[in-house]
Amino acid sequence: MTASALSRPGERERVSTKISQIDWRLLALICVVSGTGALMLYSVGGGSWSPWAAKHLIRFGMCVALMLALSMVNIRFWFGLAYPVYGVALLMLALIEVPGLGYTAMGATRWLNLGVTRIQPSEIMKIGVVLALARWYHGASAKEASFHWKLIYPVAIIGLPFLLVAHQPDLGSAMLIGLTGAAIMFMAGLSWKIIAAVGAAAVALIPPYVMFGMHDYQRHRVLTFLNPEADPSGTGYHIMQSKIALGSGGFLGKGFGLGSQSQLEFLPEKHTDFIFAAVSEEFGFVGSFTILACYAAIILISLRIASLSHSHFGRLAASGVTATFAMYVLINGAMVMGLAPVVGVPMPLLSYGGTVMLTVMIGFGLVMATRVHRYAELPKGQGLI
Amino acid sequence: MSGEPSIFFSDVNERQGSFLRRTFVFGGLTALGVTALVGRLAQLQVVQAQEYATLSSQNQFNFRLVPPPRGLIKDRNGVVIAGNRPSFRVLVIRDETKDLDQTLDLLGRLLPDTLERRRAIIREVNASPKFNPVPVKSDLTWEEFAKVNQYANELPGVMADMNEARYYPFGGAFAHVIGYVAKVSDRDVKAIRDKGETVPPLLFNPGFRIGRQGVEKALDEALRGEPGGNRVEVDARGRVVAEDIGGSRTAVPGKEVVLTLDADVQNRALEVFGEESGGCVVMDVRNGDILCMVSAPSFDPNMFVGGIPSNVYSALRDYERKPLLDKAIGGVFHPGSTFKLTTSLALLEAGVDPDERVVCTGGYRFGSRTFRCWKPGGHGPVNMHDAIKTSCDVYFYHMCNRAGVDKIQEVGKKIGFMQTYDIGVGNQKAGSIPSRAWKANYNKNNPNPDSRTWYPGETLSVAIGQGDVNVTALQLAVTTARFANARKAIMPRLIKSVGGVDQPSGAAVPDLPFPPEHLEIVRQGMVAVANDVGGGAYRQSQLGLGDIKMAGKTGTAQVRNYGTGSRKSADVTWALKDHNLFVAFAPVDEPRYAIAVIIEHGGLGGATAAAPRAREIMRTVLLKDPDMVARMTRPPPPEPTASAETVELEGAAPPTPDVAPIESSRQTREATPPNSGPRPYLSEPR
Repeated sequence: MTASALSRPGERERVSTKISQIDWRLLALICVVSGTGALMLYSVGGGSWSPWAAKHLIRFGMCVALMLALSMVNIRFWFGLAYPVYGVALLMLALIEVPGLGYTAMGATRWLNLGVTRIQPSEIMKIGVVLALARWYHGASAKEASFHWKLIYPVAIIGLPFLLVAHQPDLGSAMLIGLTGAAIMFMAGLSWKIIAAVGAAAVALIPPYVMFGMHDYQRHRVLTFLNPEADPSGTGYHIMQSKIALGSGGFLGKGFGLGSQSQLEFLPEKHTDFIFAAVSEEFGFVGSFTILACYAAIILISLRIASLSHSHFGRLAASGVTATFAMYVLINGAMVMGLAPVVGVPMPLLSYGGTVMLTVMIGFGLVMATRVHRYAELPKGQGLI
Repeated sequence: MSGEPSIFFSDVNERQGSFLRRTFVFGGLTALGVTALVGRLAQLQVVQAQEYATLSSQNQFNFRLVPPPRGLIKDRNGVVIAGNRPSFRVLVIRDETKDLDQTLDLLGRLLPDTLERRRAIIREVNASPKFNPVPVKSDLTWEEFAKVNQYANELPGVMADMNEARYYPFGGAFAHVIGYVAKVSDRDVKAIRDKGETVPPLLFNPGFRIGRQGVEKALDEALRGEPGGNRVEVDARGRVVAEDIGGSRTAVPGKEVVLTLDADVQNRALEVFGEESGGCVVMDVRNGDILCMVSAPSFDPNMFVGGIPSNVYSALRDYERKPLLDKAIGGVFHPGSTFKLTTSLALLEAGVDPDERVVCTGGYRFGSRTFRCWKPGGHGPVNMHDAIKTSCDVYFYHMCNRAGVDKIQEVGKKIGFMQTYDIGVGNQKAGSIPSRAWKANYNKNNPNPDSRTWYPGETLSVAIGQGDVNVTALQLAVTTARFANARKAIMPRLIKSVGGVDQPSGAAVPDLPFPPEHLEIVRQGMVAVANDVGGGAYRQSQLGLGDIKMAGKTGTAQVRNYGTGSRKSADVTWALKDHNLFVAFAPVDEPRYAIAVIIEHGGLGGATAAAPRAREIMRTVLLKDPDMVARMTRPPPPEPTASAETVELEGAAPPTPDVAPIESSRQTREATPPNSGPRPYLSEPR
């Protein structure tokens, strides 16, 4: 059954063949991380399945089903849907700006009112950008991907949603979209000359942006990160308490359900953005190292899956999704450990929160689909642009 | 699939090759990032683990101070005169309230009077450290306490608890001696810091009170005790999650202080003063124990415990009879004629023959001025005994310069004036008796050299206790005790024991540096004042306690220049009336108690305002002494064998005691009907 079955075109479309091609190692790792998340939510919930742990598990179960279903979908379907998904997401982001349609909570307009429910277009856009970029690069030549005027297309594909999301304001999501896009451009073969130039410009422009372009609370977070002592009970308090949780966990941890920092609410947002600190406190270095190793394995396996794809679209879509996931992990990890300013980026799969889990699991569905359909042949066409 | 192949080898392979290389780099970068995170984890969780474990337990555990109960202050019979009572109070913890304004609104509905002090409460709450409970109202009624607890869920950050508050059951009777406790002020904290000491954390505990005056202040540290501590587990909001086992320490209560005072005498003394202003000190002649030290008018020290309203305080401060001043030790007065006892002793020391007679014609011409005797017609020929008995001014005008002012000062110092006593409380005044050196020093900055010269005419004023002679009631009591004892330089003692450790007695002192026969002459003079029919205070000194007799000396201290007008004080305003003084001891035959009473601006003479009061207080003292009671109830001996003066006075004394013996103060209070009102004390036999 294995790869030989895929080499016979008639066999490829059989569901049993497809199921055999699912990467069970990847699925197992995802389950381990999410399971740990449920365990931690049980612990920080005061040793109770409510309010977080049970919901987390139920959502995860539904998302696994969705992921497996998506992995059965041929990537040709994704290929065709790339621009429409992106277009719809962009439209929704624009509609948020229309007064009356956007829903505002906690000073940020991130939700689109659909009457019956609210959705967060920036989450759809995280997938949409990946698909659109992969779609564009699929039709572009190596030269166009490296150093060419046409690069303004991918820049626009990234830039438009970046600006709209940043305007909401949702710095975390904007950063993820921007960084993911940059990662895809890099992997697609962007010239080192451009990378060097942009890098230099960024170094020169970031300080003025921090001072003049940011919202007060955003600037405050950045400045606090640079000088935590200036504000020990405000934003600096979060970083400090998180570091205390991590450090006091020691090598073996305080034990399940015994983390004083998380149990006694010294740890802020212990069930969402700072859940990794709770894991570290209760399971120590051993536990947190294991979780980080799982994340690293998930990322590397996904990149490997991307590199096995026969189509350029498949490669870039899978690696793009993986890049998003890697950004989540690295940014959240750095934030929790006091290496980065506090931004609202959760730890994927571990943190409580349905939207991010849905996004990430759809992403893994795409990765799985890429693996299952790695021999799929896609039209060369340039598409819309 | 469409007809076109999807792979163009030349280009696609280039793209694929580039992608693989770049993905490898990207994977490497990601791995590097994860490695960096692992490195950071190792730094925090392995290298710095200990440091963060400490910070974590500092977060988790809090040492909650348990305030110690303040030591009790008792009188000589074990009656509590400063105790602690339970008090319900409401506290607000700023960081636990969602919205302080809203919380105070709700609280105001339950406790309407917190609305009036709202601004002060907000200021206090905002000034307090995070998570520190601030008391907003003390002494709640049970109903209020129950109401606050009932609405506890709607009032986050508000808690009602019970603590101990200082309580002075006798109100004003002991206000000046034991003082009071009050809230710790910034000045208290600063004073401790200025001394270079660390401020004990107990001082910041809400509800802690610091001794402000009197014994409460002087023995504050002994009374304070050692705070205990509860190690408690708290959450991020400072709420106690669990009491920790083993990490707690119990509080050590403050030491018990026993005073030599007698609550019954003290109460009676204040009662006897009525609206008059002044001070009274009663001392045990044998050992120096102070049985009574009262200043009138007084104030209720309980008002200071919870914080005294400023209008009440300024009313006390501005009242012309100065209730806040301790007139027993902290106010000085001219001793008037009571000083003649000291002058007499000085004359004897200077070699004046006590039998030498001076003819008093009602005035004495010295230089260009005539000094008048209090008795316009004069006393005729008087010796020293007669001069004391009748308080003849002319005798002392005539004799004083034989001793000289320096001698008077020297004797005055030796007998007990011009000094403070180590009785354990502060704010004592030393007073003054002039001498030539004293005047030169007093006026050393005066440009006029004449102001430093002593004139013999001034000695005349000093001899009768006027001029620059200033004494306190305590000093008068001490000197009277010494005259009565006639042997030992008795020292006063106020604090009997601290924490069960007895303080040194005032009896273990050297003898007085005077020949006993000199002291006896003065003593006999005092006996005559009170017991000779012609004595200055004969009528007012009859105790009515059988053969127990009192000896004394009156004093009237001028506070204005009489000029040529009337000497009577009846028509002038209070502040211009003369001070009235009376010093006495009893019983005459075996002196036990000495008393000094000063009535500020009492008017008329020492015998009118001060002596009856002194007699009433002395009666109370004597009736509390079992030996004296035994003596009164004993059938009179068939053949009097007592000393000469008793024989001499037998006819004048009522034969039987008219007051039932008192055995203990508690019984007294129980026996007294609650609304019996003050007992009359001016029941003079007419």
